[in-house]
Amino acid sequence: MNTSHKRILTLKIVLFFVMAIFVVRLFYIQIIQHDNYVAQASQEQVKKLVVPAKRGEIYALSDGQPVKLVMNETVFTVFADPSEVTEPDAVAKAVKEIAGGSAVENLSEKIRETNRYQVLAKSVSRQQAQLLKKKNLKGVGFQEIVQRVYPEGKLAGQSLGFVNNEGRGQYGVEGYMDKQLAGKDGILQSVTDVRNVPLTIGENNVRQPAVDGTNIVLTIDRNIQSYTERALSRWARKIGATNGSIIVMDPQNGQVLSMANIPNYNPADYSNVPNASVYNNAVVSAPYEPGSVIKTFTVATGIDRGVINANSTYVNTDSIQVADRTIHNASRGQTGTITMQHALNWSLNTGMVTIGERLGNGSEINLNARKTIYDYLHNKFRLGEKTGIELAGEEQGKIISPDNVQGNAVRYSNMTFGQGMNPTMVQVAAGFSSIVNGGEYYKPTVIAGEIDKDGDFKPKEPPKPTHRTISKSASKQAKQMIHNARAAFYSRVDKPGYDIGGKTGTSETLINGRYTDNQTVGTYLGYGGDSIPRYVIMVQVSASGRYFGGNTEVLPIFTDISNWMIDYKKLQPKGESER
Amino acid sequence: MRHQYRHNTINNHQKNWGRNRNTVAFASTVKLGPIMHTVLVALMITVLGLIYLTQATKAYGYDYEARDIDTKIQEISAKKTDLEVENARLTALKSIENSDVAKAMVSPKDVQSIR
Repeated sequence: MNTSHKRILTLKIVLFFVMAIFVVRLFYIQIIQHDNYVAQASQEQVKKLVVPAKRGEIYALSDGQPVKLVMNETVFTVFADPSEVTEPDAVAKAVKEIAGGSAVENLSEKIRETNRYQVLAKSVSRQQAQLLKKKNLKGVGFQEIVQRVYPEGKLAGQSLGFVNNEGRGQYGVEGYMDKQLAGKDGILQSVTDVRNVPLTIGENNVRQPAVDGTNIVLTIDRNIQSYTERALSRWARKIGATNGSIIVMDPQNGQVLSMANIPNYNPADYSNVPNASVYNNAVVSAPYEPGSVIKTFTVATGIDRGVINANSTYVNTDSIQVADRTIHNASRGQTGTITMQHALNWSLNTGMVTIGERLGNGSEINLNARKTIYDYLHNKFRLGEKTGIELAGEEQGKIISPDNVQGNAVRYSNMTFGQGMNPTMVQVAAGFSSIVNGGEYYKPTVIAGEIDKDGDFKPKEPPKPTHRTISKSASKQAKQMIHNARAAFYSRVDKPGYDIGGKTGTSETLINGRYTDNQTVGTYLGYGGDSIPRYVIMVQVSASGRYFGGNTEVLPIFTDISNWMIDYKKLQPKGESER
Repeated sequence: MRHQYRHNTINNHQKNWGRNRNTVAFASTVKLGPIMHTVLVALMITVLGLIYLTQATKAYGYDYEARDIDTKIQEISAKKTDLEVENARLTALKSIENSDVAKAMVSPKDVQSIR
C-alpha cells in the first residue's frame, strides 16, 4: 500500500468517526432526549393563559324588579417609573388635569422620587386612562384592576359583605355565596406568536371558556331597605342610640325585605372602618336577650297547648315565687284577678310565668313544662338554631335545654318573658312570623332568584313552609291578642283600617355576667297588614349607659316604618270587621 | 369459413391502429441534461412548497383576524359594562333624591282612604 492510499484510508476513518459522532449525538438528542426537547419547545411556544371569570352581580328588588346593588368595574392605577420619565412637569400636569381627584397628593414630588414604581393616580376610569394613554407620556404605565362597585353606596352594606384584595367574598352574601358568585376561570392553552397572539396550530390547544359567576337577586327591597336605614339613623340620633338593628320580613314566605344596622359601613371603603365588628350584620350575628317580645311566643304556646286563651284569668300579685327566687312585674298595680290579654297588654311577667306553670302541673314550672317550652321555643320556633339564611357569619344563639343543669325552673320562668335566652333577631322574626301567619314556619331567606345569561330575572321556587309551629286556630287567637296588646295603648298612632299588632321589649343588659340597672336594650316586634299580615318588623336599639324602653323609644320607630310600609305596599284598609 | 372470419377480424384491428398512428415524429432540438432535470424538479418542489406555505399561513391570518375581533368584542363589552355602571349610578336612590324633580316635590297635605 503506497502513501497516497494510506492517507485516503486515514481520511476515511477520520470522516467515519466524525460522522459516527454526529449520528450518535443526533440519536441522543432526537431519540433519547426527544420528550425533554419537545417539552422545552412547548414551554417556549405554547402559552397557557387564564381567562378570568366575571364575578356575579348582586341585585335587590324595587317594586318586584331587579336593580343592581353590586357590579364590577374596571379601573386603572396610573404609575410611573421616575427614571424613565423625561418630562415630569408634563406628566404631573396631564395626570392632574385628567385624573382630577383620583390623582395622589404631591404628584410632582412623586415623579421625581428615586423609587422605580410610583403610583400617580388610583381608581382612574377607562375613559380617563384612554385620554392619558393618548398623551404618550414616557415612563407612565397603567395597571388594570377589576373592582366591585356599589351604585347605592352603603345601602345594605352588612347584608352584601365585600370582596377582599385576594378576590374572596367576605361577610354577608359575598361571603356566603362566594363560590357561586366567583364562577370558574377558563383556560386558553395555545401556540402563540412573538406577540402572544394564539394560533390555531398544534395538537395541544385547549380552549376552556370561563364560567361567569351567578348573578344573584336578593329579596331585599331597595326602597324598604333605604327607608329603614334612614328611619333607624334618624331615630337613633333623636333618642341617642349608638347601636340599633331592624329586620323587615314577609311573614307569608320568610323573605327578608330589609336588614338595617347602625353603625354600618360602605363596602367600597371596607378597609377604612374603625372597627372590624362593623362588618357583622347584627340581625343574624348578634344574639341577645330580646325581653318581653318573647311573651308573644309564650302566649302562642299556651294557646296552642290549650292551657290558656285571651280570657283565661289568674290572680296577679305583682310577684311570683319560682324555687328560691321571687319574680316581679316591671309594671306594677294591675293586681287582682286579671285576664291573660290584660297581662299581655301590661307586659306582666307574672302572667307569663303562670302560663309556664300551666304547661306543667299548674303550680310550678316542672320538667314537663320546661320540655314543652323548649320544644316550642327551640324545636318549633327555632330560637337558638341557625336559620340557614344565606348570609355569612350567622350565629346560633342559645336556648338552654331542660336536660342541662342550668335549664332549671328559674331559668325557664325567665325565658317565658324573654330573659335567660339568646336568640338572634332573624330567629325571633321568623318564629314570630309563624305565630301571625297561621302557624307555618318559613325558613328566612334573602335569595329571590337569579338573572340568567339573557338578563332575565328567574325567580326561585316559591318558598314552602318547613313545618307547623302552632295550629291555625292558635295562630288566629295569638294574633288577635298581639293586635289587642298594641291597640290597648297605641292604636291612634297607626293608620286606621289596618291590622297592626306588636309587643314591646325592654331587657336589662348583661355586663360581666351581671344585669346592670342603668342600661337596657329596647325592642319592638310587630306585624302589619290588611286581611293577612304583610310584614313583620323587629326593631332593637341600645347605647352604653342608656335606658331604652320598648314602648317609649322603640315603638315610634316601628310605627314610623309600619305606616310607611302600608303606603309603599299600597295596602287597602279593610276595617275592624274583616280582621 | 371459421378461419376466414378470424383473419378478417385481425386485419380490421391492424387497420384501426394504423389509422391513428402518428405519421410525423416530433424531435426537439433542445436537449435537457441531467442537471437541468434536477433544477426543474427542484423548482417544481419549491413552487409546491410555496403553495403549501401560502395555504398554511392563510390559517394564521384568520387567527389574527379572530384576535382583532376578540379585542373589539372585549372593548365593546368593557364600554357596555362602564355604561351599565353609570346607568346604575344615575338611577340610584341617592341620585334620584338629589334630582331637581325630587327636590321640587312636596308632601301631600291631606290623604284620605276610601273604605
